[in-house]
Amino acid sequence: MTPFGHCLIMSSRTFCLSGCVLRILGTEDHIYCHSSFSQSMLCSVLEEVTGFKSECDFQFCSVCLGVLQLIYRDDKETLVKMESPNDMALVIAELVKKEGHQIDGFSLEVSIPQFILENESSLLSGMKKRYESEPWLQERLLSKCVSVKDVLKFAITKPLETLLDTKASASSFRIRLAYTHKMAFGNSVERNQGFKRRKIGTENGLQNVNDESVVANKDCSDYPTNETIAVTGRSSLKVPIDKVSEPCHLVYLCYRTHIYLCGRYLKYSRNVSQTRWIIDEERMGEASVEEIIGSNILPMCRGDNYKFHAAGREDIDVRMLGSGRPFLLEIQNARQVPSEETVKEIESKINGLENKLVGVKNLQVVGSQGWTLMREGEAEKQKQYCALVWISRPLEDEDVCSISLLNDMQILQKTPIRVLHRRSPLERKKIIYWMKIERIAESSQYFLLHLCTQAGTYIKEFVHGDFGRTQPSIGSILGCRAEILQLDVTDVKMDSE
Amino acid sequence: MSDVMVDHTQKLEETAVPNNLEQQDKQDEEQPQQSVQENAEYEDEELHKHLVPDIIQLPLIPPSAVEFNFASYFAPDFMKPGNDQYVYRHANGLCVVGLASTHLAFKDKGGITAVDFNVGKSDRSGMKVTGKRKKNAQHFESNTALCKVCTNGDSYIVRCCVKGSLLEVNERLIKQPELLHSSADREGYIAIIMPKPADWLKVKASLLSLEEFKKLRVLC
Repeated sequence: MTPFGHCLIMSSRTFCLSGCVLRILGTEDHIYCHSSFSQSMLCSVLEEVTGFKSECDFQFCSVCLGVLQLIYRDDKETLVKMESPNDMALVIAELVKKEGHQIDGFSLEVSIPQFILENESSLLSGMKKRYESEPWLQERLLSKCVSVKDVLKFAITKPLETLLDTKASASSFRIRLAYTHKMAFGNSVERNQGFKRRKIGTENGLQNVNDESVVANKDCSDYPTNETIAVTGRSSLKVPIDKVSEPCHLVYLCYRTHIYLCGRYLKYSRNVSQTRWIIDEERMGEASVEEIIGSNILPMCRGDNYKFHAAGREDIDVRMLGSGRPFLLEIQNARQVPSEETVKEIESKINGLENKLVGVKNLQVVGSQGWTLMREGEAEKQKQYCALVWISRPLEDEDVCSISLLNDMQILQKTPIRVLHRRSPLERKKIIYWMKIERIAESSQYFLLHLCTQAGTYIKEFVHGDFGRTQPSIGSILGCRAEILQLDVTDVKMDSE
Repeated sequence: MSDVMVDHTQKLEETAVPNNLEQQDKQDEEQPQQSVQENAEYEDEELHKHLVPDIIQLPLIPPSAVEFNFASYFAPDFMKPGNDQYVYRHANGLCVVGLASTHLAFKDKGGITAVDFNVGKSDRSGMKVTGKRKKNAQHFESNTALCKVCTNGDSYIVRCCVKGSLLEVNERLIKQPELLHSSADREGYIAIIMPKPADWLKVKASLLSLEEFKKLRVLC
């Protein structure tokens, strides 16, 4: 008796297995409908081939590993046998409710072990070999294999739509059935077992999910070719298909992909860093822009975590005024996407905080185009500043005039000593587009210097000269010693606004 | 200062709207255009109020960038009498070394004529340090020679004073040795050295603070 015959005998034992056989042959009807290739014909073919009936004790379809039988082990290792796809939809709906997700759509995904696809390839190539002369096989081979994923998705989607009261669509809210099996390659088992059903707060958890879907997307639609063999990594002509004594392990996941809020922030304090800054367990500064904004937005989205990105940055002792600096806040696994009204409320709340350290403008929810906005603000843009400068001699009218005449002036800055410990020693060419001195009434040696420079210019060093390592500097231009006491960013120029 | 901020923030909120209005400039009629103009000016005014400092609170002579960001140390008579050098240490550990004002070289008539970095085994001005990890930086002992300072009658060897990696020498001194006269403690610095934390602690013990140095040299 051929090993292959053994498989087909197992086929005749369960509806599922013969269903899987039919599915692979490319029947358009899924297993819950009648197939045009009748059951009796299938049985007789199978018997004919094997000529032998044996009692085999098994439970799970060796092709789909029990997935289409709605049998699986849950995260408590309990064997679960669902009666109908409806029941699975119920479990999902419960999970969505428990997580408290507010949704207006969902995207259903199924990921299965590569192993199932290999089984399908094996079975198909085996049958092709055995029955290649048969007309029914020739006819069947013209259709595509119906994948396990499609069958399951089709079965679950409608009841899920009813239970969740919303439609399946391309949505940021993802529902995923992640099947794994011990016999699958070591890699994917490791990856999948790292999942927890909820609290996927870490980036890693979500990334693994995405990777897995890429791998598992290869359907069995093609007949085994050299390509397929290369892809699966081992010979797909392995017959018989291994008998399985264990079903798959299933994890239900529901999560929302990142949502983004963008806006501009202002920083009114000289003791607030842009991002959380902790050295030796001690916080630098009294707060951070990132935490103030993030901590006020995260709860309104009921997300797991946030990530703060800004178009450039300023020192802790430099205020960010005027138009503000563009920022992007990434919210992970938000249970709720805030409405326009809610967003306005958040903006007012942040601007109304008692300590008045940070302000926010133009806050809004954006799609992935938020990233384009960020990149724009970074490298090539011009920045405008206002510096409080002191010089070692009284300011003359000539000085005010000569400074205002310097347009598009190129300067050469060696890496400032204050960052030289962590940056490469380089000499950077930067452009000072324009400068304007504003006298201060009661002082002859203090004045305000307004200037517009290329992004990446170190302003403090341009004023005091950094031991002569920035040439020219305000000091060298005015022929005296110059010191900077305060710096404010007054504009971050962006094309799009 | 903070009182001022409390008053104006609310108004800043209200003027957030004009940003949108400005885009519709061309379609608006005259009157709305005027209010956009006014709002923009108002916003500028508001910003300006934030910028102008309260002069009364500012010191007559503010601390210099060096005083503010560096801790000053001195090595009197380093390796040789009269060889007074300074070490300015930044909070990030980097040390700027140079000639203290009491250095013997400044007492020579005719002043300093040349600075030569080609001492010891290599020309210190020729090395190229690259990357964040400061590759190719030479590791020197505290008594390693950095350069030779020449006057009309004499020459003096300037040394590292601090054991560490040499990150940079002040090449400008080659063409402009007079920088040592005009500002030896700033534009006339000699070199930048990066010591390891342990090495710094060792050498720190042998250096004087500004106060101690002033006392020693009887400076006012």
